[in-house]
Amino acid sequence: MNNTLNLLIGLAMGLNLMALGSGRLPSVIRTVAIQGMVLGVMPLLIEEHIQWLALAIAVGTVAVKGFVIPQLLQRAMRAANIDREIEPFIGFIPSLLLGAGGTIGAVAVARVLPLLPEHAGSLLVPGALASVLTGFVMLIGRTKAISQVCGYLILENGIYLFGLLLLKATPLLVDAGILLDLTVGVFVIGIIVDRIQRAFDSLDTRKLTILRE
Amino acid sequence: MLLNPAALIVLSGLSLALSLVFARWLSRMWLAGVVAGCVFGALAAAVVLSTGMSVESRGGFSLGGEADHLHLDAVSALFLALLSVVGAAGAIYSRGYWTDAQHPRSARAGRFWWSVLLLSLEYVVIAANGLHFLIAWELFTLSAYFLVTLDRQRAEVRSAGWLYLGASHVGTLCLFAYFSCLAAATGSWDLGPALNRPELAPLFWFALIGFGLKSGMFPLHIWLPSAHANAPSHVSAILSGVTIKMGIYGLVRFTGWYPVPSQAGWVVAALGVASAVLGVAFALGQHDLKRLLAYHSVENIGIILIGFGFALIGIQEGNAAWGQLALAGGLLHVWNHGLFKSLLFLGAGSVLHATRTREMSRLGGLWRSMPWTAALFGLGAAAISGLPPLNGFVSEFLVYLGLFDATISHTTASWASLPATVLLGVTGALALACFVKVCGVVFLGAPRSEAALHAHEAGPAMRGPMLLLAGCCVAIGLAPAAFWPAVARAADAWRPGLVPPAAPAPLFTLGLCHLVLALAALLIAGYLARRAHRYGFARTETWSCGYTAPDARMQYTAGSFASTITEWFDWILRPTRHKEIPEAVLPAHAHFEQHTPETVLDHVVAPAGTLVMHVSTAARRLQHGRVQSYLAYIVAGLALLAALVLIGVG
Repeated sequence: MNNTLNLLIGLAMGLNLMALGSGRLPSVIRTVAIQGMVLGVMPLLIEEHIQWLALAIAVGTVAVKGFVIPQLLQRAMRAANIDREIEPFIGFIPSLLLGAGGTIGAVAVARVLPLLPEHAGSLLVPGALASVLTGFVMLIGRTKAISQVCGYLILENGIYLFGLLLLKATPLLVDAGILLDLTVGVFVIGIIVDRIQRAFDSLDTRKLTILRE
Repeated sequence: MLLNPAALIVLSGLSLALSLVFARWLSRMWLAGVVAGCVFGALAAAVVLSTGMSVESRGGFSLGGEADHLHLDAVSALFLALLSVVGAAGAIYSRGYWTDAQHPRSARAGRFWWSVLLLSLEYVVIAANGLHFLIAWELFTLSAYFLVTLDRQRAEVRSAGWLYLGASHVGTLCLFAYFSCLAAATGSWDLGPALNRPELAPLFWFALIGFGLKSGMFPLHIWLPSAHANAPSHVSAILSGVTIKMGIYGLVRFTGWYPVPSQAGWVVAALGVASAVLGVAFALGQHDLKRLLAYHSVENIGIILIGFGFALIGIQEGNAAWGQLALAGGLLHVWNHGLFKSLLFLGAGSVLHATRTREMSRLGGLWRSMPWTAALFGLGAAAISGLPPLNGFVSEFLVYLGLFDATISHTTASWASLPATVLLGVTGALALACFVKVCGVVFLGAPRSEAALHAHEAGPAMRGPMLLLAGCCVAIGLAPAAFWPAVARAADAWRPGLVPPAAPAPLFTLGLCHLVLALAALLIAGYLARRAHRYGFARTETWSCGYTAPDARMQYTAGSFASTITEWFDWILRPTRHKEIPEAVLPAHAHFEQHTPETVLDHVVAPAGTLVMHVSTAARRLQHGRVQSYLAYIVAGLALLAALVLIGVG
């Protein structure tokens, strides 16, 4: 059980790096979608007795992160008619290096952290930290609004992984709430992206600095 | 009932509050209200000072969640008396000086803020609650700001106002710290004697900066010269005569109630000496009549601080008698400086009113056209220079007595009192030189400009207050022993049991000498007047120096008169000189110009301000609007926190 979980988390960490390394928006969106689905099935692996509510949440997560959000993003991308190349702020190789360094650092730091004994062997904590760091690298290093949304989604996935540590303590309703927030957030951003494109003729967030004060 | 100080204070406050209502339209009623308020205030102060009683009142009303606590004792009364005299004199003077006809917009505002200023000052001296003290203090600062900027069409008035407001708020910030720390330590905003709490002593430094900024001690005087020079003259009079004394009041009041660190007296005395000597040095370098007077305020605050500082040292040396004398001298000098400096500013106001210029090099020969102003200004000048038989000499004499006794006491204080005595003597001599320059350049000689030629004497509304203030100066000068009990009671209220009730013997001798001197002067003056009347006399150009065709331009200027002395102080005055020396056999053009800058402001405060601006501008670059970088800040911050936590855990 634990091995399967670690395998999945390792997969998610690999997907992090893939997201950082890909140069085209649709592939980043696809990578994030796959990562969301991978994470979605994890509650089923952790819970010993699978309850119908946990099942519902797992299904919901997979559906929302794997299909609804990517659909919304792709529609926004089409509606805004943006070119698909990502213009990175931090280049692909540096961001890959940063992501890899972050992942190694996360694994190293997780050993130092005072964790509960049952979590000590799993990759949950390093995976969560690595995802959060990757999310930040994407948020900092990309200029297009949609790629920043992807960074935000990866960041959220990292937080979700942390949440799995507390799966037994957190009511599932909270998870459901987070999921709903995320969906609505992406939905709204999808609309705004279109508006930004129309108003400024670009989705480059570097050009949005006039509103700073 | 009639002589109950509490009732008198209430009446005074009510009259002043009533004058607020009349300030806009009924200027006569306003004047009546202000004068009535001042008379009631002066009566209350007189009752307290003559009986030594103190009045406490609590819980009459509540403001800002704090029940009121008022405390009127001899220390408050000393300052209240000065406030009442100068407040009334300035109000009457403004009727002739800042009229509705000449200043239709600002005259009303001036009346209103004058009443607010008097009311808030009256509250400051009787407040015994930290919060209410701060409220009244802030109100007094603001009303003084509006009075300084009455003529705010002029750019230099506005900048003087800003400087005043900024400096005052730095001081108020320190006072906020002071009263908040006091309240935190004692558990209540209530103020009162707590000499048995030595842990409160370090708070004194906050009070010293806060009150010191207001009193204009060197080097915290940066706001004072421009504010006093650019305010209307009756406002300058109350600023210089009363409001800067509120800084002294604060220091006296709260060092009386709370313990002070052992270095306090030494620091205060050193600041006093620095203020006295450098104040008069800067005054000598000025060409602007009112700015020169303003620097003399710094000097006189220095004299007061010398007295007060040695009083604090005296307490430390086991309640030495010389400390009491110095304190009495300092407190009496509060009155004296308030009186003669107001008189001088009102006199300068009359000159300004008549000639429209404060530039001394454009004045001259005003004695003939303005005999009253010249005589009264001359009297004030003699008093501020510490010449007998006037009041300035009395208080400086008491300070000197204290310093002499301290010197021969052979304690540690002797090391400080000897140089202080010498420097105080230097100050007096320089002040005399400075006022010889002022009186000589402004009133004697020949007029240097058209404006000075066509000057006219001030009206009765302006002469009356000056006569009142001059009368007070003469009274204190001729009967110093009569004013001793008031000062002794104030000192007793400061720290009970300090000053003996009986006046020191030299004070009687001094009074006698002054009387004889005044009588002799009157006799000689009468004799000369009779001779002049009988035989007549010829008028000629003064300072004609043997020239066949003397001209007004050949006279000594303010700068040339003082240049010998100001050169000694070049190291701190840092004057800028522009000169074109005549060179050819028949020189065509020559030019000389000297200007004394505000050294502390220009060479210390301004560079510091520029540095702060540079740092702030650099820090502002962090705020550029790029979301990516903001996120990077967050990551960096998180990483730093995590590192701190990990190191802390490790």
